Order: sequence, then structure tokens, then C-alpha cells
Amino acid sequence: MANDPFWSNIFKRSGEDDIDLYEILKVIPIFQDLNRREFRKVEAILHRRTWGADEAIVNEGDPGVGMYIIVTGEVKIAQRGDDGSMQDLASLGGGDFFGEQALLDESPRTASAIAVEPCKVIGFFRPDLLDLIESNPRLGLKIVMRLSQMISMRLRHTNRLLKETRLRMRQIEREKEAREERERQEQERENLLAKEESS
Amino acid sequence: MEREKASAISHPIKALIGIAILVGFSLFIYEIRGILAPFVLAFVLAYVLAPIVDRMEGRGLGRTSSILLVFVLAFTGLGFGILKAGDKLTGEVRELSDRMLRDERSERKFSLVNGGQNPVLIEEIVWEEQVGPLAAFSLSDEKLLWPVEVKPGEEQVFYVSFAPDTPAYSSAGLLLHLGGEDVGSTLSMQATGNRASENEAEWVAVSVAGGADFDLQQRGIELSPGRIDFGEAGPNVLTDISKIAETIQPTLQSYLGDDFDLVALVKEKGDTLIDTLLGSTTVFLGGVVSGLTFVVIVPFVAFFFLKEGRHITRGLIELVPNAYFELCLNVLHKINGQIGGYIRGQILATSVVATLAISALSIIDLKYALPVGLLAGIANMIPFLGPLIGIISASIVALATGGDLAMELVGKVVIIFMVIQLIDNIVIQPTVVAKSVEMHPLMVLFVVMVGSQLMGIVGMLVAVPLTGIIKVSAQTIYEGIRGYRLQ
Repeated sequence: MANDPFWSNIFKRSGEDDIDLYEILKVIPIFQDLNRREFRKVEAILHRRTWGADEAIVNEGDPGVGMYIIVTGEVKIAQRGDDGSMQDLASLGGGDFFGEQALLDESPRTASAIAVEPCKVIGFFRPDLLDLIESNPRLGLKIVMRLSQMISMRLRHTNRLLKETRLRMRQIEREKEAREERERQEQERENLLAKEESS
Repeated sequence: MEREKASAISHPIKALIGIAILVGFSLFIYEIRGILAPFVLAFVLAYVLAPIVDRMEGRGLGRTSSILLVFVLAFTGLGFGILKAGDKLTGEVRELSDRMLRDERSERKFSLVNGGQNPVLIEEIVWEEQVGPLAAFSLSDEKLLWPVEVKPGEEQVFYVSFAPDTPAYSSAGLLLHLGGEDVGSTLSMQATGNRASENEAEWVAVSVAGGADFDLQQRGIELSPGRIDFGEAGPNVLTDISKIAETIQPTLQSYLGDDFDLVALVKEKGDTLIDTLLGSTTVFLGGVVSGLTFVVIVPFVAFFFLKEGRHITRGLIELVPNAYFELCLNVLHKINGQIGGYIRGQILATSVVATLAISALSIIDLKYALPVGLLAGIANMIPFLGPLIGIISASIVALATGGDLAMELVGKVVIIFMVIQLIDNIVIQPTVVAKSVEMHPLMVLFVVMVGSQLMGIVGMLVAVPLTGIIKVSAQTIYEGIRGYRLQ
């Protein structure tokens, strides 16, 4: 009887998906510190929504409100280029997330996220996070701490890239200077030669 | 991209449907405005208590227990306050509105019927002296010639009026001085009230049997249970003020010419003013205060707003289509914050101003300081007009109750309100009231007039905060939407 669709429908707990959210969300960095009890509290403020194929989940330029975690389906991240055409940047699948920076501020989205196929997505939004911090500071702090760590890690990564780029640029500049110096000397030599020939 | 095109075509129809729904909803709200009050009050209460509940929940208490604890504390405080000040407040309010509305003169009609076989000679009718100053009572019919003879089976009608110098609930006993051969007569008295309605005649007809009693007491027979209830009569606020007007009338006339009649002006304008101000209000307040519904419904609804508020908004947001989902979430959150800030700010400002006004007015010994200060605090929510309402009502009370020192008292009242306004504008307003709710003076005037048209003085008080809430919401929605590129 356990598999009888009639009974399983009647005893189905409303709002519960077949998929255990805990399994999906515990690998998301910002939820890593939470135990199951705390996780239940966070679960209560998450929004579960479905998007159809080709529907935009976020639009580039809109104010950011929060992050999305893909449960099932494929989402492509795209950016509008200088010429106005859309350029695909990445393709995300189940367990991936995007837009976490919008949990911190309302700056415009830097790229669009478009569902490639029908998607189940979980939304976690700044207003709910702020309420959580207000009503349960310990739990809110855990999430914000993780969020900052993630962003600081990314910042470190960016800094490293920046440093490498700067080194590389200095190297290129030095090479460029050396080349210019060489060219100048060559030019002078040629000038000198031309002078001697004319006189 | 074809989807966009399709939605562009149906756009005007969608907008039309949207407007129709909005109009229908507004009409519906207007129709049920009578039962809306407890819900609005619960809504406000929930906003006021929400931060405290959140704080307690943050300390580790469950939400339900936090709410219950806050409720118990809040209502204990409120109950204590009502116990302490409620009686005084309602008493003063009743007295004050009585003083505004009461008649200066109360008239009664009564008749004496001779039920006996012999004529009765009434030499005079006088009033029991212990009731009050004799001058307050008079027989209205001046053509009466004493003694009056009442033949058997006939009746004699008397009109009496009562106009005391000081107001008091008064009933008067009357003494009949009888003369002549009245053995065997029976006099019965019937009174009909003609002040407000027939029903107000409260005294029973009495009969005086003749015979032995009359022999014993040839003169001065008291028709004792036959007291005439005149009800509340006495000088009202307008009379008090016109008395003061009389004293300054000559001074004013020397400046403005003899045609200027301040007393008549006060009487004429004051009457209509009091009528419009109190007429609809007493009806409204009567409706509000009546019944236990308020005491039960408001905490009940507020409890659920506090407990389920987030679930309710979440449920609403779930219904929003994907394209507008983020927008709604964001805007709803901001409106929530703004309205909460606005309501809490207004309530804080109101209580501070009311407390200041009540304390200061009590210090200068103004009568009815409690209701007047409270009104000033509440009225202060109305920019520009509010302080005026406070100062005018306090001045009227000062004029009416101050007696010889009335003008001096008015001066003190004016100074007090100026100082309170200064404090309000420099300290209170900038710190507690959101800048975003600033309204144009014309807007304030308009909504206050609309409010008074719909709901009297209560409407005037409610109009500005309500408009403030609508304005904050509209502003937030507009600013929220501007960031989004909507089709």
C-alpha cells in the first residue's frame, strides 16, 4: 500500500518535494555550517519556484535581490556584449548556484540567467536573510560569515589574478620600453650614417 | 521573443482589467469601512510590537511565546493605564462634550388637574430653596395672575424654565401655596418634558388628597415626590466665551467700528462649528467603543498578523508570475520597512507630544488637561493643521473654564504650544519621522478635507497618516519598478 498513488497523495506532506533539500543545500558553501535543526529554519524562508524553458530567471541590469540554487534543469548565464548580442558565459546544472552577491547589496545583475529547459530552482533572498538576522542572529551570522568567506576567497583569487596581470603588464611594458629603446638607437645610428654619407 | 510580442498586444486589456479590479477593490473597502477599524488597529498594533517580538525571538524564545509575552506585558500596561487614567479621561471627555453641547435653559411643562369636587385656589408656586438659586427657576408664562383657580375636573398648565448660573444636574421640587376652601379636593400633577422629547419627563403624577392633610397644613403643601427633572442645563462653552467676548467688545469696537459684534459672531459661528465637529464624532466613537468586539478582535487579529505575517506575504509572493516575482519580493519588503518606520515614528511622536502637552497643561492647572493634551498629541500627526487644532481646542477650554483669569490662561496655553512645537520640529520630527513622507501643504489640506467629509473629525485625524502610508508605498513601488526593465 505504501506505493499506492492514492495513499501517497493523501499522506503527501504539503510543500515537501521528493528530493531531500538538505542533501542538495548542504554542499552549497553558505549553508555548510548549519545543522539539521538550523537548516529547517532556513528552509522555511526559501522560495521554491519552477521556470519554463527560455524563461529568464534574472535579467542583466535589474536590481539584485538574492541568490538562486538550481535543483534540477539547466540554466545558461549570458551577458549582453558591446554590440548588443547575447554571449553565453556559462552553463549551470543541478546543485549549482548563482547571484549570491545580491544577498549583500542591491547592485544591478551583471548577467542574465535563462532556463534552457524547465527548471526547479530555490531562491534565497536578501529581505528574508535580513529578517533571519533580526529574528535569529546566531543563525544569520553563520550564513553571512560563510557568505563573506566565499566572497573574500573570490576576492583573494581576483587579487592574485590582478597581481599576476600587473606583473605581466609590467613585463610587457618593460619589453616594450626595451624595444622602443632599441628602435630609437637604431634610428639614431641610421641618422648618423645618413649624415656621414651626405657630408 | 514571440512571447513578448503576444504580451505587448494584450497589454492594454491587461491594464484595463487591472484598473477594473483596483476600482472594484477600492469600492469594496469603502463599503465595508465600518468593520475595518479593528483590523486597521490590529495592523498598527502588529507593526508597533513587531520589533520587540523580533528582538525576543532573536534571544532564543519561540515566536509564539515571544508574541504572547509581549501581549501580556503590553496589555497589562494598557490595562493599568486604563485603570489609572481611563475613568478620569472618559469622565472629562463626557463632561467636556456636555459643556459644549448642553442647553443653557431647560423648559418643562406640567399641569395640575383638579380631580375633586371643589375648586382649588393656587396662590403661588415656588421652588424648593435647597435645589439651587431661586433665580434659576421661573414660570415662563408671565401673563399668569395669582391666585389661579382650578375648577373641579379642569386642568391648569404651567410652563417653567430652569437656567442656572452654574451647570448641574438638577431636578426641582416645587411647593404649592394653596388657599381657599379646598377640603375634599384632589390635585394631580402631570409633567411632559419638552426639552428633548416626551420621554424625558421622569416624574410621576402625584395626587394630593384633600381633607385632613389640607386642614393640617393650610399653606405650603409640598407635592413631594413630584420633582421636576430638568436634566443638565447651564451655561455652555459658547456662553462662557461670549461673556469674555462681551468684556473685550468695547475695545475691539473702538478699533473696528460699532458694527462689529463679536458676541453675535461667537454665538453664530461657534454653534455651527461645534455641531460639525462633534456631531459626526460622537456617533462614530459610540460605534467604536460599543461592544466587546474591539477588545477581543484587535488582539486576536494582531496576534495572527505577528505570527503569520511572513507566511502570509510568502504565500502571496508564491502566486506572482516569474517575470514579476523578484520585483514584488523586493518592493513588498521595502514597503514593509517604510510603513513600519512610519507607523512607529508617528506613534512615538504622538506619545511624546501628548505627554509634553498633558504635563504642561496640568502644570498651569488647565481643566480637562488630559483629553485636550491627548487630542493635541493625536492631531499633531496632521502637518500644519494639527498644531492649530491643539492650540485652538486648548484655548477654547481655557476661555470657557478660566473665569476671570481666562485671558491669562490662554496666553499660557499659547506659549506652551509654541514651545512644544519648537521641541517637536527641532527634536522629535527629524529623529523619528521619515523624510520620505513629507507632504505638500495643499495635499495635506485636501486629504484632511476629504477625511472630514467621509468620517468627521476622526476622518481628519486618520486621513494624513493613511495618505502617508499610501504615499510611502507608491513611492517605494515606483522606485522599485524603475530599476527593472519591464515590457
